[in-house]
Amino acid sequence: MKALDKGYWKSRWKSFLIFLAVVGPGIITSNVDNDAGGIATYSMAGAHFGYGLLWSLIPIMVALVIIQEMSARMGVVTGKGLSDLIREKFGVRITVYLLTALIITNLGNVIAEFAGIASSLEIFRVSKSVSVPICAFVVWLLVVKGTYRSVEKVFLVACLFYVSYLISGFLADPDWSLVLRGFSRPAMKFTPGSLAMLIGLVGTTIAPWMQFYLQAAVVEKNINVRDYKHSRMDVILGSIVVTVVAAFIILTCAATLFKAGIRVETAKDAALALKPLAGKYCSALFAFGLLNASLFAASILPLSTAFVVCEGMGWETGVNKKFSEAPQFYGFYTLLIFFGAIVILLPGIPLFPIMYISQVINGIVLPLILVFMIILINDKKLMGNHVNRRAYNIISWTTVAILVGIAIAFLLSLLRI
Amino acid sequence: MQEHSLKMFVFFSELLGRSVVDSNGKVLGKLTDMKVKLGELFPKVVSLSIRKKWRRGLLELDWSEIEGLTGHLIRLKPDAEKKIKPFAGNENEILLREELFDKQVVDTFGAKIERVNDIHLLVVDRELRIVHVDIGMRGIFRRLGWVKVIDSLTDFFFSYQIPEKMISWKYVQPLASDPQKKDLKLNVTLRKLHELHPSDLADILEELDQASRSRVFKSLDLSTAAETLQEVEPKYQLSLILSTSEELVSDILEEMEPDEATDLLAGLPQEKKTKLIQTMEKPSREKLEELLRFEEGTAGSIMTKDYIFIQGDKTIGDASELFKRTTHPLDTISYIYVTDEENHLIGVLTLRHLVLCDKDTPLSKLMNTNLIKVKTEDDVKEVKEIFKKYKFMAIPVVDEENRLSGIVTLRDAVESTSKDF
Repeated sequence: MKALDKGYWKSRWKSFLIFLAVVGPGIITSNVDNDAGGIATYSMAGAHFGYGLLWSLIPIMVALVIIQEMSARMGVVTGKGLSDLIREKFGVRITVYLLTALIITNLGNVIAEFAGIASSLEIFRVSKSVSVPICAFVVWLLVVKGTYRSVEKVFLVACLFYVSYLISGFLADPDWSLVLRGFSRPAMKFTPGSLAMLIGLVGTTIAPWMQFYLQAAVVEKNINVRDYKHSRMDVILGSIVVTVVAAFIILTCAATLFKAGIRVETAKDAALALKPLAGKYCSALFAFGLLNASLFAASILPLSTAFVVCEGMGWETGVNKKFSEAPQFYGFYTLLIFFGAIVILLPGIPLFPIMYISQVINGIVLPLILVFMIILINDKKLMGNHVNRRAYNIISWTTVAILVGIAIAFLLSLLRI
Repeated sequence: MQEHSLKMFVFFSELLGRSVVDSNGKVLGKLTDMKVKLGELFPKVVSLSIRKKWRRGLLELDWSEIEGLTGHLIRLKPDAEKKIKPFAGNENEILLREELFDKQVVDTFGAKIERVNDIHLLVVDRELRIVHVDIGMRGIFRRLGWVKVIDSLTDFFFSYQIPEKMISWKYVQPLASDPQKKDLKLNVTLRKLHELHPSDLADILEELDQASRSRVFKSLDLSTAAETLQEVEPKYQLSLILSTSEELVSDILEEMEPDEATDLLAGLPQEKKTKLIQTMEKPSREKLEELLRFEEGTAGSIMTKDYIFIQGDKTIGDASELFKRTTHPLDTISYIYVTDEENHLIGVLTLRHLVLCDKDTPLSKLMNTNLIKVKTEDDVKEVKEIFKKYKFMAIPVVDEENRLSGIVTLRDAVESTSKDF
């Protein structure tokens, strides 16, 4: 009785946390998915191509749902991570080469997150030589000190920032008939620029590392096969959220930046898309959103990568272990952050293009990971009755074929110049 | 032939994929796997599995048909090719490629989960036996074909060679199992796990995937299972209980202290809880049901029924006799509680009284009547305060009418409060 009001707030806080705990791996994954690279790529897609590429979001969403569902299903049924399964089925040799490709790709993404941190804080006139080292250290500390879990919720709530694109999009009063046409009429110029943008859009929405992360998150939740339908709903919902956010960023940028003929080279340019909503504060609002997205992903990506690598190689993992118990885990984690930050500190490095290029690399590596996923999920020994249905296989193999096709077309178009 | 007379080590990765040739040198197929019979300290390979080109399905050939492992070939005895049969799995046998190579195993010496990078075999007396599993970096480099390059690099820069890291088969517990054998008795094959301490077992269970976790858990004997179950994190407790049959879970619950069993049951869905209790044997069930009546977070919910009580008109001698016969855990018998005919708590004795006082002294003359006690519905926090203040080993719990219902030990109090925060 004595501590009534303290107890009251405690129980209030507790129920709030429980509510957030119900937010599943699918939703979290989708919010981390809209990271610095995502915001940059969507902004550029809208600013440089107008409504022209909106249609691509529909097939991308279908593929995203199918692929994420496979990751979640594998996690629930096998109770093992993706790199674990790849190692057990394909042996150490393939695992090492595949993980090397993944590490390089993910390092690109980590660099992009630090580029996001640097460019967002530059709007607040904080030099990158100050912001990047401090944020790198904070991110590193969050995990090593095990406080990440409690901060995660703050990041998640701050993701409401994307709502500002929704509002700004409406306030910009776009020509809705053009928007509709952008969605319904697939049009594509086969220039290196638009092919790269298409690959970037795929790569940022369906990032290879997300599949590893989602499966690990599902495994950690220890979801029973019987409860799988909830997990599927969570994943589908998450995928739809990603796509809606992506569509609104592109649409808003198209209605503002593309219309005004602004090319996105820096965060300041991209921030102008929020002008209809925030007026002269648009830069600050954008910087806040970009910073949150970058920090969120920057604290998950190196951790997830280190985890995936160590799991596949059979090294000790876990943030509750001492450094001497899990040297490879902490080593990888620290090196990824270190290199990610150091690249951004190079003088004169173009921040926005880096965020974008990392997503194009994502898109090129994605089909490789997908091939392994599809083979694994059709393994009866692993999945039992939960192997892919025929229709699923057709869609997923088609996705792989299309992705490889676009990647080849892109490389060819580069050579022609 | 001559290589069989001497001892020779060979890695499984070096054998995999070798061509199998008959006595005339004709290639029959490639080695894809080896079957090993478990049970011996260093189990021996009993058969090879071979894949022929352009043919589906695995073929099996007995180890006794092997002539030798010369060069990069596996040479068979004359007429061995006629003894090739379709592959068949057996109880107590494991396939090295399928169930051990690249899979997770438990190192029962280090109490850790490790991944097998290679398998170290020994050719001795015409037999091939597993001696070690390789868990080190060197094994990974060997399989990648990088050993020479890496060795010359590390030697050049640091005058150092990456050492082999192996575990003796004595301490290796394989975990992966062929799903086709799922229903066979697994207790035999998982037997090495029993050497582990329950808290180590709990750590290992938490790291395993769901299927292996419940398989390993079911293979434990009741008392180990009970102790292990208490050690694992709550979310895994739930999944273990849900994936194990109700009969087995209720047997495990009977094995536990009643207050610990109630702690465990508290986290379960109501329906499951009732079912489990109904499945339990009567004496344990009654104790449990009584404890479950109390609301969570009260002294009643964490108290234990294991205590010694005796009526006030008895003597020290009687109490000693009672003490000798008890099987309760040590921390519950630091005090002996004295009651009247209607079970009202009237006093307490310590062990020291039993040892030092004259056998014929009536208890009512010696007992301490200035009692510190709590009521069943008192908050656990208050109980904790009392422990802090008085530093007792245990506190008696009474109902509204001062009738003795149970005791809370220091351990119970610490465990219950640590869970709340």
